[in-house]
Amino acid sequence: MIWQQLQSLAGSYPLALRGLGMTVMLSLISLVLGTLIGFGLGILRTGGNRLISSVIGAWVDLIRGTPFLVQIFLIFFILPELGIELDAFTAGIIALTNLAACFICEIVVAGIRSVPTGQVEAALASGLSRWHRMRQVVLPQAMRIVLPPLVGQYVLLIKDSSVVSAIGLTDLTRVGWLVVQRVPNGLLVFFLVGLGYFIVCYPLIMLARRLEQRMGAAHGEVQL
Amino acid sequence: MTKPIKGRTGMIEFRGVNKWFGALNVLKDITLSVEPREVVVVCGPSGSGKSTLIRCINGLETIRDGDLVVDGQRLGDPATNMTRLRTEIGFVFQSFNLYPHKTALENVTLAPIHVRKIPRAEAEKAGRELLAKVGLADKVNAYPAQLSGGQQQRVAIARCLGMRPKIMLFDEPTSALDPEMISEVLDVMVAVAEEGMTMMVVTHEMGFARKVAQRVVFMDAGAIVESGTPDEFFSHPKTDRSRAFLSKILRH
Repeated sequence: MIWQQLQSLAGSYPLALRGLGMTVMLSLISLVLGTLIGFGLGILRTGGNRLISSVIGAWVDLIRGTPFLVQIFLIFFILPELGIELDAFTAGIIALTNLAACFICEIVVAGIRSVPTGQVEAALASGLSRWHRMRQVVLPQAMRIVLPPLVGQYVLLIKDSSVVSAIGLTDLTRVGWLVVQRVPNGLLVFFLVGLGYFIVCYPLIMLARRLEQRMGAAHGEVQL
Repeated sequence: MTKPIKGRTGMIEFRGVNKWFGALNVLKDITLSVEPREVVVVCGPSGSGKSTLIRCINGLETIRDGDLVVDGQRLGDPATNMTRLRTEIGFVFQSFNLYPHKTALENVTLAPIHVRKIPRAEAEKAGRELLAKVGLADKVNAYPAQLSGGQQQRVAIARCLGMRPKIMLFDEPTSALDPEMISEVLDVMVAVAEEGMTMMVVTHEMGFARKVAQRVVFMDAGAIVESGTPDEFFSHPKTDRSRAFLSKILRH
């Protein structure tokens, strides 16, 4: 019987590949967008404008304090009520990007705050503009603190992307649900689904660990 | 609103400047004028407001009332471009504050390239010359962590000189150094002073003060208590407080 199930599973191979592709695509797009927006938010949050800073702070707290599944439902089911039609893929990207941006914002803020004030004062005293202070002095030093948890956050993001199956996107998790209806062996099917995620995440976990070791050793030479 | 500045002003001019940290009056009615090419040494017990005084000049601290005019521009005036004014003022910190992720040369060329918009090749040539001038020709590609304290402080001075400033401010430049490294930094500062730089130096290095300063300003509890030539101040201090201070630092 298990043999029959394996054979049947092998037939689902193209579907599984499509699901894996969808998971990677969703994660990759929202990872890139989330990183860009997260850095922007983090820089604004530490920028000294109290209003902007507290608005970003409140938004980040809101997103961190609510379940991702609820956020994705709000975006997919509530926004159309307000006249904004979204397909599931766009809704998934928006929800994941927003989530990633909020977590990355916090990581970037922690990194920026770890740079000694003397560094900012030296940059100020030599007349560097805000942009150059950030780009040349603060961010390269903040990256030492930022990089390891940032890569760790990417791993979390890839796993969180499984929630988008709830709005009907055929990602790896949803492929699992579809397959298990034909092959009634949940343990086997979801073992394989888990394996798929692990194969994508494991290199990143290793990368985060290596970065952490390197950051501990080097004296601040991180090129952006 | 731009208030006109009355009368002629020195390169650095404090007129009735007050500053508070919360309820603490850290600068009390400071009036002081520093002429171009003048070297003024500021001394006094710790917590007397010396560092705060010079940190106000390049806007690292803001003042609450009074006027502070630097190079003809009033600080806190909307017409004063603080970033541009800072390019004319070099600031040397007690703890060097070199950029740890950049080499000695990159530390020196960063602001000339990005602020003065000097072409990289030209900035690097000037940077090498400056590092040679402070005796670090062989440390051009070293990172700060690979340099001794005295070497780091000399790079920091070269970093300021790279901007060709009109004014140099020194905030206890030798207090974080091991004793054997103090003179190498002071020698560089003497050379800068002899080239005619306008300087304010917070320091207790009395040898330096005697050698190059035209004036010594003694501060206590946020106020300027006494001001005079190094000779007057060290040989004939006028107040009890300055006598007490001098007896403490000269005892060793």
